[in-house]
Amino acid sequence: MTLLTVSKLSKSYDGKNVVNDVSFEFQSGKCIALIGPNGAGKTTILRTLAGLLKPSAGMIRFSGISESDDIRKYIGYLPQYPVFHTWMTGMEFMVYSGRLSYLSEAESKKRAETLLEKVGIIDAKNRRIGKYSGGMKQRLGIAQAIIHKPKLLILDEPVSSLDPFGRREVLTLMKELKEEMTILFSTHILSDAEEISDDLLLLNKGEIVEKGSIIDLRKKYQTSIIMLEFTEDVEKYQGKVNTLTSVRNSFIERDVLHVSVSDFSEAKQEILAIAVKENWPLTSFTLNRASLEDMFMKVVTN
Amino acid sequence: MQWMTLFRKEMIENWRNKKWIWVPIVFILLASMDPVSNYYLPQIIESVGGLPEGTVIELPDFAPSEVVMMSLGQLSSLGVLVVTLMSMATIAGERKSGVLELILVKPVAYRNYITAKWTVLIILVWVSLLLGMLGSWYYINILYGELSIQSMLLVVLFYGLWLTLVVSVSIFFNTLFKTPGIVAFLSIATIIFMSVVTQIFSHILEWSPNNLTLYIMEMLQTESIPSELIWTAIVTIIISIGLLIAAIITLRTKELAN
Repeated sequence: MTLLTVSKLSKSYDGKNVVNDVSFEFQSGKCIALIGPNGAGKTTILRTLAGLLKPSAGMIRFSGISESDDIRKYIGYLPQYPVFHTWMTGMEFMVYSGRLSYLSEAESKKRAETLLEKVGIIDAKNRRIGKYSGGMKQRLGIAQAIIHKPKLLILDEPVSSLDPFGRREVLTLMKELKEEMTILFSTHILSDAEEISDDLLLLNKGEIVEKGSIIDLRKKYQTSIIMLEFTEDVEKYQGKVNTLTSVRNSFIERDVLHVSVSDFSEAKQEILAIAVKENWPLTSFTLNRASLEDMFMKVVTN
Repeated sequence: MQWMTLFRKEMIENWRNKKWIWVPIVFILLASMDPVSNYYLPQIIESVGGLPEGTVIELPDFAPSEVVMMSLGQLSSLGVLVVTLMSMATIAGERKSGVLELILVKPVAYRNYITAKWTVLIILVWVSLLLGMLGSWYYINILYGELSIQSMLLVVLFYGLWLTLVVSVSIFFNTLFKTPGIVAFLSIATIIFMSVVTQIFSHILEWSPNNLTLYIMEMLQTESIPSELIWTAIVTIIISIGLLIAAIITLRTKELAN
């Protein structure tokens, strides 16, 4: 089921288009990553969806929600740098958030306990937020965004300001949340997107340059490179590999032989056959999957 | 109820940041200062010294109603300044820091957000004013002569409307700008501008809120409520409500992430 349709969305500041004619839609239950370099307009799009900015042109349509209804009820939002009332405790802020989202006092408290437990800051629930670390604030930010069980959770760069541990924890948390709600998040860290999202939206200079599921995009941008590693004498084998019919050319980088091939499966067979026959001292045989990084560079620079 | 949630949050915030302590204290000091210092002025001058032997200092005997006006005079200058300074960041500060981004993505009704803040400020200001004027009343009764508590409460009632207007002006500018300093500056500038306009067009603007103190003085002297005071009070209330509505509309149409 389509959850959200964005059509021809534009946003300009002082006559300068930050987001230009962007259209996309996504299904409920998916996890969608919005990827793009800094300044591509990711935050602007997310803020517009959250209702913090008004589109200069275009339409945003949530399915199953009537026009007159307040869409904020169905959205959870975490800004890139969440700021809280530092004089409140974590628990107080959670209950405050719950009460503002029309939960009862008891329900807010119950949800707050559950969520603080889930994001792992239950021990600090009675501490002032002013004393929280960056990672704790980020986790509190996620917890407060989902207290009212939103249909769509919007996260703006949820992990980019965290250290590796915090990053891992938040990613794990997002994987869990994925089961319960639709998540749209922005990032410029491609491996994160690759790890947890189903669909990608690639944004550059305010325009969508590529979109689709991770699987489809990987296929589309796959490069045909086989990487071989040997215990000895890479140059010698480079010569032999070059004589194979399916091999276009090859180069050595850090003692790894990169073989560019015209036909992937044929080359695979040929190389493996000759390696077995001549008993090559092969330690690694890798079929290169195009990383999102490569695809990203390709799409953005084109 | 959402409004109560916002109201309670504001109350707790003003308690924790000690506004509930310092604002009443400042009001008590401002309102009691003149009654006390005017009474002891001869002694003060004497103890400071430097006057030739035999100097006779004669000051007029102030009537209680005149002393009330001195207290109001202090509140009209420094009191108004305190009110604008303590309210300048109530919304602007939240916008500037970014907390508002977390709050207003929740289904918060803008009218609840504004009116809850306004109500809490009004309660704080009225309580402070009441305590301040009670202090003034106490010293007046000891030092100058009798003034009934009823007339003092009427003074609080009508003068409170003036401070209500000041709070409303500040709330309105809070929704327009996100720099607290600009909010405070524009609030004070507006009040000064209003008073200048009231003076220039005094023959037309009989019911301008700036005339409230004038009619309060008349009330104290004649010991009856002049009809001008009632009308001015009504005008003040209407302007305050108008500013509140304007603030709600501004916040609703504003892009909060900017």
